[in-house]
Amino acid sequence: VRPATQLLRQNWLGYAIAPIVLLALTGCGLYGGHGTAAQVVRVTERDFKISAPKHVRAGDVVLKVGNHGPDHHELIVVRIGRSPLPFRTDGMTIDEDAVRRRTVGALDPAGAGATRSLRLRLAPGRYVIFCNMSGHYLGGMHRTLVVGR
Amino acid sequence: VIRRAAPFRPFAVGSRRPIAAVLLTFALFSTVSVAFSIRATNRSQNRAAMVEVAARQRTLVERYVQEVLLARAREDAAPAYTAALLEKSAAVLLRGGKVPAVHGDDDETELAAASGAPARAQLQQEARLVRDLTRAGTALLAGRPVESVPQTAHEHITVKNPVRRLRVLAALTSNVSLNAARTIATSTDRNVSGLITLQIVLGIAGLAASLLLGWALATVIRRQTVHFRSLVTSSTDLVLVIDEDGCRYVSPSVEAILGRHEIEVLGDGLRHCVHPDDIPAVEAAAAHGDAHEVIFRVSNRFGEWRSLEAHVTDLRRDRHIRGVVLNARDITERVELEQELTRQAFHDSLTDLPNRALFRDRLDHALARSRRGNEVIAVLLIDLDGFKHVNDSLGHDAGDELLRQVAQRFDKITRTGDTVARFGGDEFAILLENASEEVAITLAHRVIEEVASPVTVGGRDFSLGASIGIVLHRGGAGQSEELVRQADVAMYAAKEAGRGRFEVFRHDMTRQLGELLGLEHELRLGLERGEFQVHYQPAVDLGSNAIVGVEALLRWTSPTRGSVPPAQFIPVAETTGVIKPLGEFVLREAFGQAAQWLRDGVLPDPFVMWVNLSGKQLTAGGVAPLVLRTLAATGLPPSMVGLEVTETAIVEDGPSGARARAELEELHEHGVRIAIDDFGTGFSSLGHLRRLPVDLIKVDRSFVQGIEHDAKDAAITANLASLAHALGVLAIAEGIESEGQLESVRKLGCDLAQGFLFARPAPAETVTRLLAEQGRRVALRSAYRESA
Repeated sequence: VRPATQLLRQNWLGYAIAPIVLLALTGCGLYGGHGTAAQVVRVTERDFKISAPKHVRAGDVVLKVGNHGPDHHELIVVRIGRSPLPFRTDGMTIDEDAVRRRTVGALDPAGAGATRSLRLRLAPGRYVIFCNMSGHYLGGMHRTLVVGR
Repeated sequence: VIRRAAPFRPFAVGSRRPIAAVLLTFALFSTVSVAFSIRATNRSQNRAAMVEVAARQRTLVERYVQEVLLARAREDAAPAYTAALLEKSAAVLLRGGKVPAVHGDDDETELAAASGAPARAQLQQEARLVRDLTRAGTALLAGRPVESVPQTAHEHITVKNPVRRLRVLAALTSNVSLNAARTIATSTDRNVSGLITLQIVLGIAGLAASLLLGWALATVIRRQTVHFRSLVTSSTDLVLVIDEDGCRYVSPSVEAILGRHEIEVLGDGLRHCVHPDDIPAVEAAAAHGDAHEVIFRVSNRFGEWRSLEAHVTDLRRDRHIRGVVLNARDITERVELEQELTRQAFHDSLTDLPNRALFRDRLDHALARSRRGNEVIAVLLIDLDGFKHVNDSLGHDAGDELLRQVAQRFDKITRTGDTVARFGGDEFAILLENASEEVAITLAHRVIEEVASPVTVGGRDFSLGASIGIVLHRGGAGQSEELVRQADVAMYAAKEAGRGRFEVFRHDMTRQLGELLGLEHELRLGLERGEFQVHYQPAVDLGSNAIVGVEALLRWTSPTRGSVPPAQFIPVAETTGVIKPLGEFVLREAFGQAAQWLRDGVLPDPFVMWVNLSGKQLTAGGVAPLVLRTLAATGLPPSMVGLEVTETAIVEDGPSGARARAELEELHEHGVRIAIDDFGTGFSSLGHLRRLPVDLIKVDRSFVQGIEHDAKDAAITANLASLAHALGVLAIAEGIESEGQLESVRKLGCDLAQGFLFARPAPAETVTRLLAEQGRRVALRSAYRESA
């Protein structure tokens, strides 16, 4: 059980700050199309599927990740190499250590309803975005992103 | 805007409401707090059980996969039992109910349905995945293709290997179970934090409300305390609490009343302030507490005596007080007024000598001493010859001056223990105690000498004569009235024998005098012959100027003596007993006349027929039956009849005085009105007056005559009027002769007036005319008023 104060802060401040964060993020999105600002890419997670545009321009990218639930989900972005992504010995999850050098970004697990942003600098190439909670990758939660110039 | 006065509320009620409000607030906040705590605890318990069951699902999922694999390898396993447990638990988590026990592991648990949208969504997902998992397991064991099992939880499993496929499903299920448990646990945290928040809010609100109400309560109590304290401190009354040890409490008003500090009066201090003569009374009150009223004197800061009248309340048994409470009022002014009035009542205002009443009082005392010690008492009654001449030729002022000088001379030639009094007019009296005939005669010679030596008044010298009657009382029983009358007889004898002489009373003088005057016989004869007549003098209400009564006055027109004034024949009638038939005659006449007027309809409302009663008539007894009989005979209502009595007659001690008072009381109860005639010339104490049934006080004509010029007379009249009002009776001024006098008595507070200015005493016919005229005026006025 977490201390009451922390809970309070989380409950109250969370709801109070959420619209402000949203507004800030929307602002970024609005101005994203105009030259220097980062490109915003909407990514939707749900049991057990990830939706995202197939093609993304190289450069600064902000992944706006919304979890539509009902289960918790995380997001890992890994550049696709020559070999396929290796599984851990349990055969249920990708071996994140093995692909660490190719990993360009990750978001920790979050519950349904959460919306988070992941800022990345993407070089041209092919990437896979996936949820690595036990069984989720194999359950269908992975998607390929093609980053072009 | 006039604000409506707040409704009256007794003090005690005010403080109950805030107390009740404080208690209610506490009760309300406590109830809410406890209810929320119970609810939150119940919910937390339920959620804890849910978390446990959700976590158990994870274990069961893993166990199920193992059992399927074991069963597939033909090992001993019961995957169907675990599948049923899984499905049933998932359903109960979602919808509530009894969670089945895992054999040998735990007990059945009762759960409420899950609440909260996120948790419910996860549990629904879990139920779907459990179904997919168990179906996959069943298919695997049955040798059917696992791929053909529908994926109802939106999973998109592309793995071909049936076991791995089963394990992916198990991982998904296990994961969602874990996360559902986390969500429920988080909401439990929220529940607890909500409870804590609520408790904090309730605590603060409750504290604030209680503080507010407590403050309100304190304010109310403070206001009440201040109220009561200011009631006590601002009161002009002095509150003392005393016991055997002295004064235990004195209210702060002691500063205002006595100019003394509380410390000076507390404890033994009170004893030092109280007049030595009054200490026994105060001590008696403190010791017994049963006296209702006690009057005592206390010295103020300047050493002056202030008279306090205290109401005594015994609160020694009251544990808050434990003493006798004296509620005292400063009555010094009243006492001084009483003393002044008493002094005025006993002294002649012109010469400052004792008056007839005081003389009688001293004579009574002297007689009492004489009875014990056989002392000789001498009374000298002196009448100035030739005084009337001075009065007529030089005016009243000169006459008054002459009387003052003569009085001073008398004072000079008497011993300190002797009493010189003025009986009124030019009549003086001297009382000698421890005297002898020689001493009395020597003094009589000196009086004649002193009066004979010239007196300078208004630049002219006057030489007067004095006729002196001497009576000697040589011990034994005696009546003061009798002695004065005998002195009077002796004086008459002296006058008859030629002026400027004295005579010592002898018993044969009375007869001689009676024969000389021959009045008794003539009075009886006159009564038979109808020589007596009743005249009526109207009394006027100073407010409305209307006639509100008449005084019946007896007139005697003798064929030989002509018109004889009552002052001459009434004393003879009293001495000889003719007063009885005369009194009856007056009552009959006056009541009959009033009844006649009533029948004729000329009487105003209110109206009182006033009849004089002589002192002798009263003390002889039988007045009440006589008056009631006459009233019945004439049919006059008792409220229209008033009796005028002299003060001396009704304050007389002894059985006859008591009987007179009782009879007056009886008549008063019937509605007959009582007036005190010639007021201010004979009371020993005002206390008597309070106890008598009196409706009206007559202010003597002697005060009214001097009212315009003599400040003393005006002051006396004002005092008498205010005294009358204080006693709740009316004051009537007699002998109004001028507009100036009328204005003065009106200004000084008299209610009614009588005198030549309004009307002289007149026969019934004349008064009938006056009453009829007034009736017509009143009728005319009211007719005008109606038409207007």
